[in-house]
Amino acid sequence: MESTPAIAVSGLSKSFGSLQALSEVSFSVPRGEIFAYLGPNGAGKTTTIRILAGLLPRDDGEVSICGTDVARDPVVVKERIGVVPDESNLYPELTCRRNLEYLGELYGLARGVRAQKAAELLSFFGLKDRGTTPFGALSKGLKRRLTIAAALVHDPEVVFLDEPTSGLDVPSARALRELIRTINRQGATVFLTTHNLQEAEALSQRVLILIKGRVAALGTPAEIRQRVQGLNLLAVTFSAEIEAAPLLRACPAVLQASRRNGTWRLEILETHAALEQLVAFAGGAGVRISEVSAVTASLEDAFMSFLKEGGPEAEALP
Amino acid sequence: MSQFRRALAISFKDIESYYGKPPLITWGLLFPAVLILSLYVKDPATYLAIAPGIIAMTLLFGNTSMAAIVVTFEKRAGTFQRLLLAPLSMRTIVLGKTASASVYGIATALALFLGLKFALGMPLVNPVLLLAGLILGAGIFSLLGLAAAVMVREVFEAMTLMNFVRFPILFISGVFMPLSQMPPWLKPLALMSPLTYVVELLHLGVTGRSDFATPVIPLLASLVFFLASWVLAEIMFRRRAYS
Repeated sequence: MESTPAIAVSGLSKSFGSLQALSEVSFSVPRGEIFAYLGPNGAGKTTTIRILAGLLPRDDGEVSICGTDVARDPVVVKERIGVVPDESNLYPELTCRRNLEYLGELYGLARGVRAQKAAELLSFFGLKDRGTTPFGALSKGLKRRLTIAAALVHDPEVVFLDEPTSGLDVPSARALRELIRTINRQGATVFLTTHNLQEAEALSQRVLILIKGRVAALGTPAEIRQRVQGLNLLAVTFSAEIEAAPLLRACPAVLQASRRNGTWRLEILETHAALEQLVAFAGGAGVRISEVSAVTASLEDAFMSFLKEGGPEAEALP
Repeated sequence: MSQFRRALAISFKDIESYYGKPPLITWGLLFPAVLILSLYVKDPATYLAIAPGIIAMTLLFGNTSMAAIVVTFEKRAGTFQRLLLAPLSMRTIVLGKTASASVYGIATALALFLGLKFALGMPLVNPVLLLAGLILGAGIFSLLGLAAAVMVREVFEAMTLMNFVRFPILFISGVFMPLSQMPPWLKPLALMSPLTYVVELLHLGVTGRSDFATPVIPLLASLVFFLASWVLAEIMFRRRAYS
């Protein structure tokens, strides 16, 4: 059975009234992979997770987890998966330890096993000294950690993480990403949805981009980046502050301009014309161009490109 | 068996989190105790005609409210989703939630009864029928509370929905007036109310008197209402719990 994929989805469709939330979505996640499921708000990510977790019936298509159909045998599937919802939703009145032990009971763990598992998870997630603290009294970051720990109490084969680092500060998010890697190294398949594309690129082996309920791209981050290699990008630093609107007006060869950490990232039509126009614009604005470099498209650039196109037809990469 | 143990886990956790809290227990005890004591002070000779009905009324209001509040509260807090994500059948969830609410109802009713027995010398003619009435009544009303809870989003909506049922059946079920003294047009309606049979079982347990020829009738009728409430709650959970 090890050869069966952890997650197999084929022709999955779901609509809510007249709204088509998912349309003919197909993908497969082999065991042991970290798979990122990306898309803008409303693309259908949470709907997919809810269907995969047995919380929502599908309209059409096939969905199986470790070879078992979710709709046919939801209890068996739920024994094998752990789900971290986008909101930390453990019992606020129960202590951290009691939350983990209670969930262990719901998964049928024997008393001794669940006590040991709770202790292990509290230690693994850096919550050893918070065992007797009520969940409701934890900080947002610690709540997120315990919610992830709760999803692991029964050693699931597949873990669904819906926006795991959403709303966390940088150190907490970084620590959680490291924990996700460790969970994966210990054998769990990770299905991750996130708005943080750098996080997806850093963590996942493969990525699926979902736009308007359809698969826009599927492949490794490198493969997806390659699909938008025709994209011309320049990173430009000016000696003083400038505004985007006059820059775009003065440089027709610059299609889009965004600023990050003082450097302008420009999507251009053609390099020579863009450079000429930029130099002329800088002269006119009384600023100097301090630095110019060509930029390789990132996953975020690829994502934005797919989004701008309104979601190309599904084309899985090898 | 495994699912049964998981249902027990849900019950114990709910008792720990909600039903075991002192304010809830005292509210469940004080309201009916004060009502019965008032009746006793007014006329010690006749208070027994109404006291079993008030205990049944406490079960009706306490259990429908508490079962509905717990589920609606958990839905709002997102914690109800933990049950739906766990490997539990819908029957297990219904069993777990019903059992905890029923334990609360039975425990408060028993405590009330024992208090009245010691304080006022309330009789106990048939403990088996008293217990059967408490268990079946608590079960029926908890299940109806659960069914209402999954149909709505807010606690006040659940209360409003249930008040449409609770107050009319309180009026027709022989709580304040025995079946035999009811106007003839009201009797058929009384026979359609589960509260009627619970009140009769408690009367049989406390005083040994009943308007039915045999205790088998209220016993069987309560059992039928219990099964029907179970089916209703399970259907509602299957249809609405995920929404």
